[in-house]
Order: sequence, then structure tokens, then C-alpha cells
Amino acid sequence: MNMFEPIRLALRSLRTNKVRSLLTMLGIIIGVSSVILLVSIGSGLQDYITTQFQSLGANTIYIMPGKIDLKNVSSAGQSMMTSKLETADVNNILHGSSVITDIGPAVAASGLLTYKGKTISTETAGIWENYFTITNFEAASGDIIRQSDVERSRKVVVLGDKPAADLFGDADPVGQSIDISGVRYLVKGRLAAKGSGAMGSNVDDHAFIPYTTALRQFSFTNPQMIVLKVANQNDIAPAIEDINHVMLRRLKDTDFTVLQQTELLNTITQFLGVITVALGGIAAISLLVGGIGIMNIMLVSVTERTREIGLRKAVGATSRDILFQFLIEAIILSLTGGIIGISIGALGSLALRSVIKTAVTLWSVGLAAGFSTVIGIIFGVAPAVRASQLDPIEALRYE
Amino acid sequence: MTDILRLAGVSREYKMDGVTFQALRDVSLTIKQGEFIAIMGPSGSGKSTLMHLIGCLDRPSSGKIFIEGKDIIGANDRELAEIRNTHIGFVFQQFNLLRKTSALANVELPLIYAKIASRARRERAIEMLKEVGLAEKMSNFPSQLSGGQQQRVAIARALITNPSIILADEPTGNLDSKSGKDIMDIFENLHAHGRTIVLVTHDENVAKHAKRIIRIADGEIMNDKGKMKL
Repeated sequence: MNMFEPIRLALRSLRTNKVRSLLTMLGIIIGVSSVILLVSIGSGLQDYITTQFQSLGANTIYIMPGKIDLKNVSSAGQSMMTSKLETADVNNILHGSSVITDIGPAVAASGLLTYKGKTISTETAGIWENYFTITNFEAASGDIIRQSDVERSRKVVVLGDKPAADLFGDADPVGQSIDISGVRYLVKGRLAAKGSGAMGSNVDDHAFIPYTTALRQFSFTNPQMIVLKVANQNDIAPAIEDINHVMLRRLKDTDFTVLQQTELLNTITQFLGVITVALGGIAAISLLVGGIGIMNIMLVSVTERTREIGLRKAVGATSRDILFQFLIEAIILSLTGGIIGISIGALGSLALRSVIKTAVTLWSVGLAAGFSTVIGIIFGVAPAVRASQLDPIEALRYE
Repeated sequence: MTDILRLAGVSREYKMDGVTFQALRDVSLTIKQGEFIAIMGPSGSGKSTLMHLIGCLDRPSSGKIFIEGKDIIGANDRELAEIRNTHIGFVFQQFNLLRKTSALANVELPLIYAKIASRARRERAIEMLKEVGLAEKMSNFPSQLSGGQQQRVAIARALITNPSIILADEPTGNLDSKSGKDIMDIFENLHAHGRTIVLVTHDENVAKHAKRIIRIADGEIMNDKGKMKL
């Protein structure tokens, strides 16, 4: 027999049992589509988090007060209140390191923003003039906080996209006056949106005022955070070393924590990666169940078609012909189920796009297709061997 | 006339639960080109075993079998399958047609294993169905055909590889007398055209169509009437 004859034979016999073939494939279809869908959600989350972090500035380093354990984030809150960081640290660090390009202190408080009787609550940050360079923010209209604003403690505010939209809608807020917790500020600029999605904290939901103004308004004496930036990724490690060197001269290592985006990002993506693989693994179990379903049906089919097998052997089929016929039937079943499952999974992931940025990954498609073929072979072998080894005399007598 | 098939001192024993059962003992038999033979015997006589040996579905425990001069004892499973494909045309009591498969596709089946291309298969299958008078039923499924028609499809299938021997096992056993007679007429006609036919039956009325009757009992040939003379 040539290459295509066994495939044609298998297709013909699958066609004669359409409903059964479809039901058999169902296990594989469900397994494959859930692998594709769950993995696409997992990697979508990973992509999402990564872009979010990158939009905040990949080469940014934060010095936070107190000891912050990344695995125990809830401890961060208390240490903020008793910050031992000092404004002077900023200059010390800048002079103690050659790789830091920009550095500035920051404080933040919950502020009540009022404009024409409308009040919203927004995190209000007091920042140094280079904060926007460090965190990659740009003004959509007006201007950002400048050196003179900080030096002269001007009562000016730059609104993030969200509070600007909440208070002013589409109108340009630049030049308008708003009250922040009872003090009148001039709106100097509006920042371009970074477009955070449905999840996580919104980077656009902030109002920024000069650092010196914030100290006075919210009665802070110490910075709650020092933000700095290095020129490129390779400078992060030496920068951290320099920071520790400078800071440890004055403070204990429990009094401050150096955080950097990549470290945080790695922790989160690692975690999400584990979840993605775990989800894929759970879905893969259903693939296994689907494979067992195929074996079950193929064994039934061999028994049911015993006489057919006997006849085929009587008219000249070799054991090998019979083996291939049944094996190819099993592979076609699982591969077709795999292809349908991939399509359904991809469609489902497309449908989820509006909620979360899913991404159908090539490896999950390859894995699902490969896995379903392998399952077809593994679970198809036993029934096919059984069929091929039937004695034609016995098989022809079978009732 | 040439020898189509020759059995020389053939025995076949089965072992079941340690007990040896002698189904055939020391049977020698020659079938010549164009013979129409009936093998008769009560159940358990060994006639089925003999048929399986003639049909190359089984191997003897001892003795030799030659088909057109070729010794089949040393043949492996694949070679045996090829011999069945090219030399033997089976017709069964139960017809053994593939269900949900058209008459045409059923007739084509042996040619698939003979590695014949699909167009040539189709042409020859149509020809064979014409020969048994079922050309207009070629796309029907077996379930849409009468018993007699199904057996004619099975005969067309047996003929399609142009085999050395047509081996029919109780071909009229599942048919009413009218259809049975039609089938026997076909065999008569095939015999008239020089086909070699071996019928296995216990029905005297069927056997009387044959020119030579071999009677078997207890695994041995009791009687062999009408053997062709050289």
C-alpha cells in the first residue's frame, strides 16, 4: 500500500461513525482548548505586567524606608510612617556614585482635589523636578514641575490623566485653579496617559506637586522615598552597591530598602510563569483523559469490527496493514481533535481580549498539537496491535 | 491440466488445555485447473480445517501444501497474505461485506491490498459487478441489498483479483432456495468459463452441482468421487 491508502481507509471508517468519532475527539478538544486558553491568559498577564513595569521606567531604582520584604509586602506600610531617610541622602548618594544620572526625593499623601465644587481623592506626590525624567512621564499639555517650582515652593500641580479627566473631562485644565486639601494650586500641566488596564494600581491616578511644597502642606520632614535612575541596565548592580555603601554609613540595613524594577518584575513574572505552567499542566491532565477516551473507543471499535478485520486479512491485508489502519485512525482522531481544540482555544482567547490582553503563544500551540499526536500514537498502539494480531479464522467466526 | 493446489500428507492438530486434537490426519489431495469440487462432511469432521488450509488462512502441523507449484509452508505472514490476495477468492456464508460501505467499495477491497491504483480498482470493480448482474446497485450499501444480492457482491469481490481458486464456505447457507439457486447458477457459469471452484457444504443439493465430491470424516478423506483424469 502507498502512503495515502491507509489514511484514506482510516478516514472512510471514521466517516461511517461520525457521531462516535466526534464524541471521541471531544476529550482531546476540551483538553487542547483549555491548554491554549489558560496558557494564553497566563502569558497575557505576564506581558501585561512587563509592559506596565517598563512604562514606569526599567532602569529606575527606589530607596524605601524600613525593611521591605518582597515576599511580605504588607510590612511596607508601617515603615513608611517612620522614615529615617533624609533629604541630604540624595546628594550624598549622587556624589558617592558615578553611574546615577538622576535622583530625587519624594513624599506622597492622600489629597482631596476640588474644582468647582467637585471633589476627588487622589494620591498626591511631592516630587523633585527630575521625577518625570526618571519615571518616563511626559506632559500632554502645559508643563511639568521645574527646578524653579521646587526652589521656590510654588503651589503648582501637574495632574495625572485620571484626576484631570475626573475634574475637567476633555477640557484643558492648564491655567485653572484647584484646591488640594484646602490649599489653592495652579494647574501647570496634564500628563500623557500611560494607559494602565483593568488590573493593578493606576499609574495615571496621581497628582504631582513640588517636593518642597508638599513637605510644608503635609507636614513631612523626611522623604518617604528616593527615586533614581541609571543610564542602562548594567549600571543597576553597581548603583545599588554605591547606594548601600553611602546609606550604611548613617543607617542600619533594616532602616532602608533598595528596590529596583527588574528585581520586582522578575519576582512577579516568575510567579506568573509558575502559575501559567501549573494551569497548563492541569489542562494537560484533561488531554490525558481524552487520550484514554480514544483508547477506550478504539478498543471497542476493534472488538466491534473483528469480522471486518478477519475479512480484510482473508482478502490479503497483512498484520501491518491492519496495525496502520487502526493506528492512523487514532492519530487522525486525536490530531483533528487537537486542531479543533487549538481553534476553539484561540477563538476563546480572542474573545477574552476585551477583558485581559491574552496572548496565544506558539509554544502552547506546538505543545498541544504535539501532545495530541503523541497521545493518539500512545493510546492508539494497544488497540491497533490487538487488531493486527487477531487470527483471521477466529475473527471471521466472531459473532 | 495443471495442478492448482496440492496437499501432500497434511496433518493439523490443535492443542487445547494440554489435550491434542487431531483435526486432519495425513490428507493428500490435488486440485486441478478448472475443477468444481465440493468438500462435504458433518461438523467436526475437519472440513473447515481443510478449507482454512486450502485458503492459506492456516498452516499444517506437518505435510506440505503447494499452490501453483509454490510451497507455502515456509511463507511468512506477509507472504501468506499476498498468496491469499492473489490466489484465493473467498465467499462466506455470512457474506462478510463491510457495512456502510458501498457495493463498489466492497468489491474493490482486495485490490487495495494488491496495491492497485484507485482508478483501475474502480474500473475493475464495476466490471465485476456487471458480471454478477449488479452494475446498477454499485453505490448501494449492503443493508440496501437482498441476501442473494449481497452474496453476488461477495462473489464479485472474490473474482476481482482473478484468483486461482474460488473458495466458498456454505455460500447458500443463509439464503432462501430461490436466491440459493441463483448463486449456484453463477458458480456453474464460472465453472463453465474455466474457473476452479471449491465448495464447502453439508448440503447434498448444493454439492450435486460439483463435478467432484470429497467426503471427510474424522479428519480423513473417506471418499473422493469424480476426480479429473489426466
